[in-house]
Amino acid sequence: MPETFEIEVNNLNFYYSGTVHALKKINLTIRKNAITALIGPSGCGKTTLLRCFNRMHDLYPKNLYEGEILFQGINILTPDTDLINLRSRIGMVFQKPTPFPMSVFDNVAYGLKLKGMKKRAELSENVEKALHHAALWDEVKDKLHSSAYDLSGGQQQRLVIARALAVNPEVLLFDEPTSALDPISTAKIEELSQTLKNDVTIIIVTHNMQQAARISDWTGFLMLGELIEFDSTQKMFTSPSIKLTEDYITGRFG
Amino acid sequence: MNVVLKRKIEGMVAISLSTLAALFGLFWLVFILGDVLYNGISALNLDLFLNDPAPAGVDGGGLRNAFAGQLLITLFATLIGVPIGVLGGTFLAEYARGKGISKVIGVLSDIMVSVPSIVIGTFVYAILVRPLGHFNGWAGSIALAIIMIPVVLRTTEDMLSMVPWTLREAAFALGAPYYKVIIQVVYRGAASGILTGIILSIARVAGETAPLLFTSFNNAYFSVNMNQPVSSLTVTIFQYAMGPYDSWHTQAWAAAFVITVFVLILTIAGRLIIKWRYK
Amino acid sequence: MLSKKNPLDMLFASITAISSFAVILLIAGILFVLVHESWPAIERFGIVKFFFDTDWNPVTESFGAATNVYGTFITTTLSIIIAIPIAIGIAIFVTEISPDFLKGPIGGAIELLAAIPSIIYGMWGLFTLSPIMSGLIEPFLKTITQDIPIISALFAGPPMGIDLLTASVILSIMIIPFTASISRDSFRLTPEVVKESAYALGATKWEVIKHIVIPYAKLGVFGGVVLSLGRALGETMAVAFVLGNNHRITSSLLDAAATITVTLANEFAEADKDIYLASLFYLALVLFVLSFITLAIAKFFLLKAERKYSR
Repeated sequence: MPETFEIEVNNLNFYYSGTVHALKKINLTIRKNAITALIGPSGCGKTTLLRCFNRMHDLYPKNLYEGEILFQGINILTPDTDLINLRSRIGMVFQKPTPFPMSVFDNVAYGLKLKGMKKRAELSENVEKALHHAALWDEVKDKLHSSAYDLSGGQQQRLVIARALAVNPEVLLFDEPTSALDPISTAKIEELSQTLKNDVTIIIVTHNMQQAARISDWTGFLMLGELIEFDSTQKMFTSPSIKLTEDYITGRFG
Repeated sequence: MNVVLKRKIEGMVAISLSTLAALFGLFWLVFILGDVLYNGISALNLDLFLNDPAPAGVDGGGLRNAFAGQLLITLFATLIGVPIGVLGGTFLAEYARGKGISKVIGVLSDIMVSVPSIVIGTFVYAILVRPLGHFNGWAGSIALAIIMIPVVLRTTEDMLSMVPWTLREAAFALGAPYYKVIIQVVYRGAASGILTGIILSIARVAGETAPLLFTSFNNAYFSVNMNQPVSSLTVTIFQYAMGPYDSWHTQAWAAAFVITVFVLILTIAGRLIIKWRYK
Repeated sequence: MLSKKNPLDMLFASITAISSFAVILLIAGILFVLVHESWPAIERFGIVKFFFDTDWNPVTESFGAATNVYGTFITTTLSIIIAIPIAIGIAIFVTEISPDFLKGPIGGAIELLAAIPSIIYGMWGLFTLSPIMSGLIEPFLKTITQDIPIISALFAGPPMGIDLLTASVILSIMIIPFTASISRDSFRLTPEVVKESAYALGATKWEVIKHIVIPYAKLGVFGGVVLSLGRALGETMAVAFVLGNNHRITSSLLDAAATITVTLANEFAEADKDIYLASLFYLALVLFVLSFITLAIAKFFLLKAERKYSR
């Protein structure tokens, strides 16, 4: 059975402000319905790489991509790529919870409304589905119309995941989604990621190697903007083929 | 896809509208500044600073009296307002730090900053002009000092609060009493910030007109006697601009130019100090 | 450390305390003096009558504040209506739209313009804006509104350039930089990452501004607008040049009028009778109370905005 690649990165170079060479000749493949973790010491480029997948770098001037990222076979680094469409297919969750200044319901409905969904019933149905999906429904079903800021940090992060899920993305980008959360909330989100991968492909950046080992199927190790090693998580954490990876994973530096 | 197109068009329209609004507003503001600078420069000459006013309607003469009076009034306002403001801010940031009274006075100061300056003029008239029976320079200085106090007080408070607490603790550990810690350590740490507050407060009052109209009033002759009416640039601008003579109008432009440049220089200096110190 | 009873320390603490209480003392003093000075007028004209009486006549010694309050109300309202969209446009432009290299210079320019004394705006209004208004803008407004029933009454009369409209325009130009710079500070409170997550859902730049930045800044911008209102209410010199001094309530914006501040500026120094002066003090008292309340409301919202997002 041929493996399905959701995303293929070919010879990707990335420069901040046109000069700082932040990613160097990255090549990797992201499998569909799997969790891929990106690890490495801080400043290694893992978040920079993650933010290439939804072209987040385009928000700031003079950032420059070279090479290609094929998303379902189509290069998304071309200038004519429709970023609105791309970002509604590739969702993102950030380090700190980022609820919008509106109600719980409106937060989750936000992406749907952008896509043109107007009917109240249809919105309600999708919002409920997304909240169930993010394992948050039971906790918020009675306060859908209160401010999203009233939720706890862990709940806010799952709300943000629900908001991303509501628009049925094909890929979810997690940028250290649990680094600002307590252990119980972290466990809930890790658990959630295992059920989510039936529907979406997940790429997660984490500084926590145990987390990568626990939840991911594939792991990429980056250092100084280069991808040092990329393999199945099991292989990476038991018998890495490169000395540098082993040193990092066993905690000899970083 | 249709929805996305509609959203993109809506976005483009809205962004263009706010850009237009911004350009429209900026146009007028640049227009004003350019106009004042242009008309002012062409009206400037040395006589303006060296001569006193010619009799009404006669060409020539200068505004020496107004320059001197303005400097004098502002100087005394600074000498009165700054110490009170700095000491008051010290109380809020040090002795009353975090206490309710500190917040109350802080909020009241913020309100005082924006209280109509003409009201302060009427207040000073009642306490310092009417009892004496005539307009006088001191009244003008005190009116301006009243405007300065809350400005200086608030910036001083902010700047002192930014001095790390550990610095005070280090001084306490050496056995210094609090007042010495404040004067020798905290003031030194916040000096440039306090200076900025003082500079900005001078910029604020240098252009004030309304509180001088019935305190220091105006004086067509050169006078540095603070017990008598004293001329000021701003009141002179008001009188000359509203007057019927072209020569008055020209001198009003020149005076406006000088005031504007003075205020802008002070404001820029204040901001540069902040930038340089707290970057 | 206060408990260390160092006498010099007690002395210094007392001096600073007295200095800071100067602010409370001043506010209370202003209120007391204004009430005291205006008492003859308060006794003679009462409160309600003073507010609604349109007669302001030094000759007959009959004084009512209505024309002044009306002028203040119209110029303040009109200037705020003109200034808000432009100021918010500038704030949005500077924080979200303008290319990065222009953000600093434009923001700095706005703050400088906010520092220019109001007398400069007033004088410019008299010499430059007034002719533009009477020669160009007012005739234009008259022409386009002449067939619209009620609106045309707003622009009745000859376009002189010394009138409510010109005063409101100059007042609005004066408060634009102030309003814009407070709004910009509020817009900046929006965390970058929250904006990014809206973009990550496929929002356009405008949608991020409309749904994220503006709601985030709402309280602060509102506080800033009320603060500007307080400023406009008490502004004297920007309007004194171009309002005329006309104690009549007129329906046309092209008529000269009076505001509380302009009446004070023009008449205070020459008030020759006690009741005349008392009535002027009464006007100052009304202005003080009105602006104090407005500013307190503004401060309340600004504090609330600060607290909400400092978590």
